[in-house]
Amino acid sequence: MVIKQVAPADDETGKWETQLRKGGLGLAVLATLWPGRLYGLEMLRRLDADAGLSVPEGTIYPLLSRLKAEGLVTSEWVESSAGHPRKYYALSELGRRRVRDMAAGWRAFATGLERLLAPLDGDQQ
Amino acid sequence: MSREQGQAHLDTYLAQVHRYLGGLSEAEARETLAELRSHVLDRTEGQLSPAAVEAAIAALGSPREVARLNVTERVASALETNRSALSVLRATGRLARLSLYGFFSFLVSLTGYLLAAGFLVTAVVKPFAPTRAGLWRLADPKDDFSFSLGVSNHPPPAQELLGWWIIPIGLVAGAVLAYLTWRFGVFSVRRMARGVRRPAT
Repeated sequence: MVIKQVAPADDETGKWETQLRKGGLGLAVLATLWPGRLYGLEMLRRLDADAGLSVPEGTIYPLLSRLKAEGLVTSEWVESSAGHPRKYYALSELGRRRVRDMAAGWRAFATGLERLLAPLDGDQQ
Repeated sequence: MSREQGQAHLDTYLAQVHRYLGGLSEAEARETLAELRSHVLDRTEGQLSPAAVEAAIAALGSPREVARLNVTERVASALETNRSALSVLRATGRLARLSLYGFFSFLVSLTGYLLAAGFLVTAVVKPFAPTRAGLWRLADPKDDFSFSLGVSNHPPPAQELLGWWIIPIGLVAGAVLAYLTWRFGVFSVRRMARGVRRPAT
């Protein structure tokens, strides 16, 4: 799901959108790991390519260290063909359960909200 | 030559980040720096030209900012697994050098715990050393609000306040103050962690 800003946001809307994006980032990062392990730059590229989410590069590792401390991801250093070691992250069992629950919660929330917002589509045209 | 310059630029950047990682253990700092190095090498695809390294470093952020993000998140994460009074005090201490707010939080926490300890120790010792433990109002003509709390071999020549009431009042005041200081510490660390989190755009 790509979230695109369709109109210039005023200050309050901008704050709301910032909070929304902050809140959704954890789920987005965990979701990138669903198919398998990735290293930091791969995650950033996956978020950008698949979700249109541009994450400030310096923030991804602190976020991953928090998710690791919460037991949601595991990490290991792996020698790579690129000639330097890479730290790969993978979902733990707890992380897989959590991302499934978060995805269900997100979808239920988004579906309900979509129904509420449907009348706006007619008014905006 | 250009590869060596790029490598030197990267080493300098990581050394600067290291300077600001004082709130982490040496193992945590090494891990953080290794990951940043790996990130830059991936982003430059091993080319390590000065321009490529510069672009990768610019995308990560200034050494101070990168260190602040890493230290704050790691300290906040550690706090969530152990929220004892000592851990909370240690967490505020680890964040003290990162910002004015961090320094202020540490100062308030330290003062709060010391005052709480003063009340508790005084209350506990009072039954065993009634003349040496207590709360005194100092007879300083220049300062109407100068007090001395605690246990001393040489009690100040001043009017003692509360008397035996220091026992229940000291126990309650000490416990309440320790609890409020603990709550403040947890709140401050969480606030600092929320402050460094950035949204995706």
